[in-house]
Amino acid sequence: MRARFRASFARHPLLSSGFLLALGLVMFFAARSVAALVYWSDPAHRDQPIEGWMTPRYVIQSWQLPPEVMTEILNAGPMPGRRLTLAQIADDQGITLNDLAARITAATDAHRAASK
Amino acid sequence: MAMIPDYGLWLMGLVTFLSCLALPVPASLLMIGGGAFAAAGDFALTSISGVAYLGAVAGDQTGFAIGQRGSRLFALIHATPGKRADLLARAEHFFDKWGGPGVFLSRWLVSPLGPYINFIGGAAQLNWLKFTAWGIAGEAIWVGLYTGLGYTFSGQIAMVADIAANISGLLAALAGAGALGWLIFRPHGPART
Repeated sequence: MRARFRASFARHPLLSSGFLLALGLVMFFAARSVAALVYWSDPAHRDQPIEGWMTPRYVIQSWQLPPEVMTEILNAGPMPGRRLTLAQIADDQGITLNDLAARITAATDAHRAASK
Repeated sequence: MAMIPDYGLWLMGLVTFLSCLALPVPASLLMIGGGAFAAAGDFALTSISGVAYLGAVAGDQTGFAIGQRGSRLFALIHATPGKRADLLARAEHFFDKWGGPGVFLSRWLVSPLGPYINFIGGAAQLNWLKFTAWGIAGEAIWVGLYTGLGYTFSGQIAMVADIAANISGLLAALAGAGALGWLIFRPHGPART
């Protein structure tokens, strides 16, 4: 096997280097796939923290909130019609994204406690 | 991600287009994100996936056309006999035989290889109709798969994107190693069966 590879390497140095590189990549991605599966199988890692790119509707969907809860948090009347991100909403209200996220988390906890 | 709510559809089409030309843009991540925004009601799933699909098909055609421009280089290699010409002949034979399914699978199962197949397919003068027919079928699966993943797992897109990226990298590396190994190690001359 080794002799055969050496012979082919002499014949096709470029292709053979590519082959070894591809084998290296196979091992790299195999290891990362296993690591990803192990990491995400822990439910604690699955709750997606609030980030600036999310829209209110996205948070409602992924945290399974009733829309009224979100309207209350945003205290801005009906849901914004435009696709505003949380970062833009925080900006408009003159607060930081962290404050807004804290408000959402608190209201979510209160809602979940109440509906238990 | 923040660019999806802002630029939405245009961005989606542009990114899938560019990704078919081997440019390093996060097409799968954006499609997963787009699917998740669709699940939340910020976009219609049909428009997100429709635009992504149009971008991908247009990108494939562009890549193929670019490859056709490079077909002169292939002719040049053929004109100089030697091991390089042998190798090219073998690769072209492989492509002739497996080009259609290869194009199909490189759209979605081993999608990181897709752009290169576009260039090589054009340069190796793969039949255009064949390329297009297998290509548009494969892109439908690619777009459907990723936007569908985002739509289904809209609360956990970080997880889905991470797992999908690693598994797709693994499959592409396996396919690359397999194809190169076949080119290098296959006995020369007629098969010994």
